[in-house]
Amino acid sequence: MKIVWRLVALAVLATVAFWLYTIFFPSPEKLIRRRLTQVEELASFEKGEGLIPRALSLQKLGECFAPEVEIVLDWREGEHVVAGRQEILERAAAVRQAFQALKVEFLDKTVSLAADGESADVALTARVRVPGDKDFFVQEMKFSLKKIDGEWLVIRVETIKTLSRVMPAGSRNGLNHNLMQVPVLR
Amino acid sequence: MLMESQVNTIKAPSRLRRILIGRRPAFTLVRVVVFVATVFILVKFVVLPIRITGPSMLPNYKEGRINFISRLAYKWHEPQRGDVVGIRFAGTTVMLMKRVVALPGETVEFRDGKLLINDTVLDEPYVKLPCNWSSESRTLGPDEYFVVGDNRSMRLEDHYFGAAKRDRIVGKVLL
Repeated sequence: MKIVWRLVALAVLATVAFWLYTIFFPSPEKLIRRRLTQVEELASFEKGEGLIPRALSLQKLGECFAPEVEIVLDWREGEHVVAGRQEILERAAAVRQAFQALKVEFLDKTVSLAADGESADVALTARVRVPGDKDFFVQEMKFSLKKIDGEWLVIRVETIKTLSRVMPAGSRNGLNHNLMQVPVLR
Repeated sequence: MLMESQVNTIKAPSRLRRILIGRRPAFTLVRVVVFVATVFILVKFVVLPIRITGPSMLPNYKEGRINFISRLAYKWHEPQRGDVVGIRFAGTTVMLMKRVVALPGETVEFRDGKLLINDTVLDEPYVKLPCNWSSESRTLGPDEYFVVGDNRSMRLEDHYFGAAKRDRIVGKVLL
């Protein structure tokens, strides 16, 4: 009986030690997910955000991206490229001017780490909604991240076409479409 | 006498307790575990509950309705023309709900509101709203299915439709 208790205690101890190890030495995947969660939170904003919190959020948002970051948005009306951290911040500030509040979520993240462990690609679904509005915008995206000076920074973001077609240009991608959401279980 | 007093001291379980955990708690626990496991397996591998958002499948699938996707529908056969399917983005938290109208290798085109498959007009009884769409023709690849919503009264530019790779089709909408 004593042996059983000792084994149980050992198992509990090993579990706690492993948990502490993951806390103090997180895996690259965990760090990447944490970075994307940070981008989600900083890109979102609530109604009545003050000027100083807004400036701080934008500054922190900029720190999530590499200075030479590139965002390629391939909408049906054409391709838009946002290049560099400064331009991203300008666009983010413009979005904050245009909307009173916005909620950005990155769903279904799948992290693919490169063999060298220094870069990674993340496939995800971005869902953007104005709080209180029943419509939302959905876009499948790919984020590329690189470890720069010990920090995982976003170096490229691109849109992924879920459906492909050869059709007249000029339409909005991802808006007003029949979407289905898993209501409770995810 | 002694026997009688002992019997009197054994209290019958309260009504509330009996309702909550039953007469035999161990069996209740087993039942709960089996129930949770069954629901988990059902949702993960068999049917996916969904809530419909957006107008593109009107009037057949109304906004806000709850429905289910069968994940097993295409285990033994491929999607068929007319099937309403769930198409995943990066995952299945949010999906597109569309109808399969053209199969791999077929050529598809909208002309004056009619859908043409291999230059033949497709009879679509599920399209109940007027349509005036026209588009270029497109030939599908070997693992592509052409999907579109039932609500063709929307502007073509506002309606998201096109070719979906087979691996994006999660399953068939059940109801």
